[in-house]
Amino acid sequence: MLHIKIPTRREVIEKAKAEGKKIAAVYPIHYPRELFRAFNIQPIEVWGPPKTDTKKANAHLQSYICSVVQSGLAFYLEGGINVADIIVVPHSCDSLQGLGSIYKDFIKPKQELITIYLPREKNRENVEFLSKELKRIYKQLAEFTHFEPDREKLLEEIKKEEEIDVLVAKFYKSRENLPLSSREFYTILRAREYLPVELFKNILNYALLHSSSGKLKKTGIVISGLLPEPMEILDVIDEMDGFVALDDMACCMRRVYGEGSADDPFERMAERIVNSTPDPTKGSSVDERADFLKSLIDISGAKGVVFYNVKFCEPEYFYHPLLKDKLNESGIKSIVIETDINEPISQQTITRIKAFIEMLKEESRWA
Amino acid sequence: METVKSIGIDAGSTTLKIVGVNEEGKILFTIVEDADPKVEEQTESILNKLKENYDIESSKIVATGYGSNLIKADKKITEITCHAKGIYEHFKSGGTAVDIGGQDNKVILISKGGKVIDFIMNDKCASGTGRFLENTAWRLKIPTEKMAELALNSDGEVKISSTCAVFAESEVISHLSRGEKLEHVIKGLHRAMVKRITSMIYAIGFNPPLMLSGGVAKNKAVVKMLEEELGEKPLIPENPQIMGAFGAALLGLSK
Ligand SMILES: Nc1ncnc2c1ncn2[C@@H]1O[C@H](COP(=O)(O)OP(=O)(O)OP(=O)(O)O)[C@@H](O)[C@H]1O
Ligand code: SF4
Ligand SMILES: [Mg+2]
Repeated sequence: MLHIKIPTRREVIEKAKAEGKKIAAVYPIHYPRELFRAFNIQPIEVWGPPKTDTKKANAHLQSYICSVVQSGLAFYLEGGINVADIIVVPHSCDSLQGLGSIYKDFIKPKQELITIYLPREKNRENVEFLSKELKRIYKQLAEFTHFEPDREKLLEEIKKEEEIDVLVAKFYKSRENLPLSSREFYTILRAREYLPVELFKNILNYALLHSSSGKLKKTGIVISGLLPEPMEILDVIDEMDGFVALDDMACCMRRVYGEGSADDPFERMAERIVNSTPDPTKGSSVDERADFLKSLIDISGAKGVVFYNVKFCEPEYFYHPLLKDKLNESGIKSIVIETDINEPISQQTITRIKAFIEMLKEESRWA
Repeated sequence: METVKSIGIDAGSTTLKIVGVNEEGKILFTIVEDADPKVEEQTESILNKLKENYDIESSKIVATGYGSNLIKADKKITEITCHAKGIYEHFKSGGTAVDIGGQDNKVILISKGGKVIDFIMNDKCASGTGRFLENTAWRLKIPTEKMAELALNSDGEVKISSTCAVFAESEVISHLSRGEKLEHVIKGLHRAMVKRITSMIYAIGFNPPLMLSGGVAKNKAVVKMLEEELGEKPLIPENPQIMGAFGAALLGLSK
């Protein structure tokens, strides 16, 4: 266990405001953090938040919508986003696109509303498309802030994010050598969702100082899905002498982007997002996703995959039976658990995760 | 006094089951009681009584089931692993084990060697569990055992289309108020429950034989309908309800 003091979202917002920064409330999933930072804007991501009372939002939404969007809207209606100057809604899936429309057509918030159209497949045309889209957003931000960061400033912020991505990759690689519970590990990782670059870098570097040569002698698990909520699930994994070895999570690994190659800042930002790891919201093929998960298992020595499925998260549903079969063919066991970020996990879910780990341990014993 | 090597305690949502085995895994005693909300005290008093007839001083205690958190034990193991172990050792066969309890149902694929290969389980939903039938039983004030008998001897069947416990109950009431025969409706209710279980079995991939455990396996109408739906005669231990506790006791014997 490490004692790392991570500032809260509220503290970060207060400090940023005091420093004259603007605040952007950003919905999931992909967006260029660097572009906002270049305008001296502090992005604060809104993933839920979990355990929100969604009563007010439910009146405006279909009942079969995921809890991420439900809470996201409820949070606005409760005044949770009042501190923000800008609201960013990437069109990650139909539900988020719907949320973007609700903001635009009905709520008409006082904040500047920015939507981001994200292309799907990895190819040159899509890099060009996104690059144009980012230029449009640059213009919108320039008009809003009366400030035009130059090419050097943009590249400087891109480099900083690229550096952080390398550091995060190192943090993942050191997972087995870090004296952290799965909950602590993910609390640190997810602080990137709202911390300024420098602060996040310091925290990671500090945590990495505690990396030791002794490895965790536990059953490694790869988790896949949108976000590791409710966090109690991580505790259940640890309680069973397991640990999360790597992830394929939208809020975490799927946003550890590779370095761009272009000299043009917009193209470079676009490249990073377009070339990210396989992702259901980008319509990646089942094979690509299965191969990626297999590679995570190979690298980490994990024994199985737990799919966290946010109930009604439409992009993820389609894949699960197919991924399960593909992984099975390679002798990798997996389990799908349904989650709602606003509800405690059920006893049945706890039993299923525990039984899954018991099954993996038995497997290793026989191997 | 006989020495009990290991004791399995299955604190289910509905009943408490305790099984003691000797070194060879032979069952020495079995206890089944309705589960008390204070299951830790209930267990303790049962164990104290057992001391009059058995030497349990050095028994390993393995707890499983919903209430296992509350029980003092050497090991805690999930119901899935315990039922699989109990069923496998009882029948000495791999295949598809189905445990239907008061609140949960589990379908477990067991390998030839006795390993759990895969499983599925209901989530926060009473569909296809004992509670599905009990809801209506309480409402109609007919004991579940009697309901099973009615269903088994019925000469007709009314279709209940919902597999949701709450909707099914109101469907039953509306059929009865329309004058349908009680036994026909009850048979339909059993069918709806069995269809839910069958779909779970197919979802995971049915691998015969079908082996049943849990209290609902004592329901002869459910057993007969499972056979009709799957075209395969299920294997049922003499006392299916104790399979989880038996498995837990056996797991206490292994290192
Ligand atoms: N003879 C019987 N006929 C019909 N149903 C029965 C009979 N005996 C028990 N049951 C049913 O079995 C269920 C209880 O089964 P069991 O004891 O396996 O549950 P449990 O282990 O406490 O529950 P869970 O595993 O869901 O936590 C009840 O729904 C009860 O109505
Ligand atoms: S949880 Fe799924 S459906 Fe909901 S916003 Fe995220 S990607 Fe879209
Ligand atoms: Mg049970």
